[in-house]
Amino acid sequence: MIYAGKNTGILVQGATGSQGKFHINLMNEYAKEIGSAGVVAGTTPGKGGQEVFGVPVFNSVIEATEEHDIGASVIFVPAGGCGDAIMEAADARIPAVITITEHTPVHDIMRAITYARSCGTRVIGPNCPGMLVPGECKLGIIPANLCMKGDVGVVSRSGTLTYQVISELTSAGFGQSGIVGIGGDAVIGQTFSEVIDEFHADGRTKTVVLIGEVGGNLEIEGARRAIDLGMPVISYIAGVSAPKEKRMGHAGAIVEGGEGDASSKIERLRALGIPVATRPSQIPELIHEVR
Amino acid sequence: MKFREYEAKQIFRDAGIPVPNSVLITSPNEAAPALSIVADNVVLKAQVDVGGRGKAGGILPANADNINAVAAELFGKTIKGLKVEKVLVEEALEISHEYYLSITIDRSKKMPVILFSKEGGVEIETLAKERPEALRRIYVDPSFVTLPDFIVRNAIGDAPKEIGKIIRNLYTVFIAKDAVLAEINPLVMTPQGVLAADGKIILDDNSLARQGISENRDLAPREAEAEKHGFSYVELDGSIGVIGNGAGLTMSTLDIIAHYKGKAANFLDVGGGANSDRVMYAVRLVASMPGVKVIVVNLLGGITRCDEVAKGIIAAGISQPVIVRLAGTNEAEGRRLLEEHGYRMLDTMDLAIRAAVEVAQ
Repeated sequence: MIYAGKNTGILVQGATGSQGKFHINLMNEYAKEIGSAGVVAGTTPGKGGQEVFGVPVFNSVIEATEEHDIGASVIFVPAGGCGDAIMEAADARIPAVITITEHTPVHDIMRAITYARSCGTRVIGPNCPGMLVPGECKLGIIPANLCMKGDVGVVSRSGTLTYQVISELTSAGFGQSGIVGIGGDAVIGQTFSEVIDEFHADGRTKTVVLIGEVGGNLEIEGARRAIDLGMPVISYIAGVSAPKEKRMGHAGAIVEGGEGDASSKIERLRALGIPVATRPSQIPELIHEVR
Repeated sequence: MKFREYEAKQIFRDAGIPVPNSVLITSPNEAAPALSIVADNVVLKAQVDVGGRGKAGGILPANADNINAVAAELFGKTIKGLKVEKVLVEEALEISHEYYLSITIDRSKKMPVILFSKEGGVEIETLAKERPEALRRIYVDPSFVTLPDFIVRNAIGDAPKEIGKIIRNLYTVFIAKDAVLAEINPLVMTPQGVLAADGKIILDDNSLARQGISENRDLAPREAEAEKHGFSYVELDGSIGVIGNGAGLTMSTLDIIAHYKGKAANFLDVGGGANSDRVMYAVRLVASMPGVKVIVVNLLGGITRCDEVAKGIIAAGISQPVIVRLAGTNEAEGRRLLEEHGYRMLDTMDLAIRAAVEVAQ
């Protein structure tokens, strides 16, 4: 199991908004196809009693958990209420919270992640596409039609770039054991290393594909963890030619060791002996190399 | 978004952090009256947002005898491309020691971190690299509303106690302003006590609305306009227009254009859940840039629906060729719409980008 499994009942917070509705439908279409539990309840304050594609909507997370067995929540609420939504799910002791919402205030997220940790809740995201384990569960917005069951674990900071990588893998015949988008914000819940731990514990991942970008040094930590666990890992880092991202200022660069740009990150990964693709379509051949 | 020095100092003053006496002026003839309020000896500091302002001639000492001439000189300057429009007239300080103090966010630890050094006034990156032991890093649980005493003690070590109060107040500013950086460099010891001689505050761009700021003034006019439509946009100097969804995929598109020896004209991420109007605006915006010969649209549906994207491309009706790569949610419908209107759609990202590079050549 990677955060959630076939029998995990899913809650959607922000169920009655346009994105919430749209993706409840897609998640449950996939759940029906593979025979998993899917989305069993939704919440939107003040909209309790409504239904979205047959899924009952509650006013609060605690009410939803009283009537349904919920193992994970997917959050689509607007940015300003996102930190609150994470804490509400954690307060109801939901084990995993997947936060799709983007543009969330960073202080809210730091606080929510800290609170969630104290409740034993693991947070994925924000600003992420969620996760999908082919044949088992879909929590979020990763297009299921691109995925195929297999033994490659994909972990990524990006959304759409992840879909690109999955479609390259699937067309080359490499199925996936799990796909986890950890989010593109400066502060996120689960990081590369934690997801790699999860792949390792699950035991079905033979190769890890680590997709990174400019900024921060989480990729290096993740790569080191995979090496420590004896898991073969290959990587792709986007942003070699992109204009420099806005920086947090000098102090932020100090904390991160000033090595967040794509080229130096690629150098550091290669120095660890990790093959790094120059473009996504090269990933399948690199997997052949490490196997 | 960054606050200028004078704004940061006003925020510090309001929060109980001691700052030198100063007056902000917007024309040279306000300089002499400002001096009479502030001090006999002052420094005139250009309020431009550039690094190395002092070395570039943006900080000039003055007194009652030469204030008008010095002010006229500073207001006539352009510093690293920015015209001097505002000047802070500040008392000249008698400095006996300089410290470094900031509060920022540590991405890996997901916590605020206080950075303090007794060796301020130097290039802080150099200090962090060469003598990391001289820079204290104290992590703060983000649920703390105010700083507990032990954190303050750990941060200052044997430095003067009055710095402890400044750290507490700076933390309050950091939280209240939704800052990603609140920095005092240097924090100086003077006969009047410890003062914030310079200040910098950077706000979290995702918190501007609740800080009552309606527009991010750090963005160039076209970028600001683009942001209103919900996408991030950067102009480059090539001939291949780029529209992607998601920062990662769009960056990757630029990387592959470079790989095939092409030159991108821009970076445009339409963002998540783009509807047809936003896509139409994006296509028109990119097409309107001078020198754009071809546009490559590289979109993978997730929160974005391919049918909406197709409708937007068709509605834009621009004259340059548009090469499209679309996959994901509602893909079949998007593909059908585009083919009906004669747009060239290629199956992979590499093929679409290579085709665009060929057209541009």
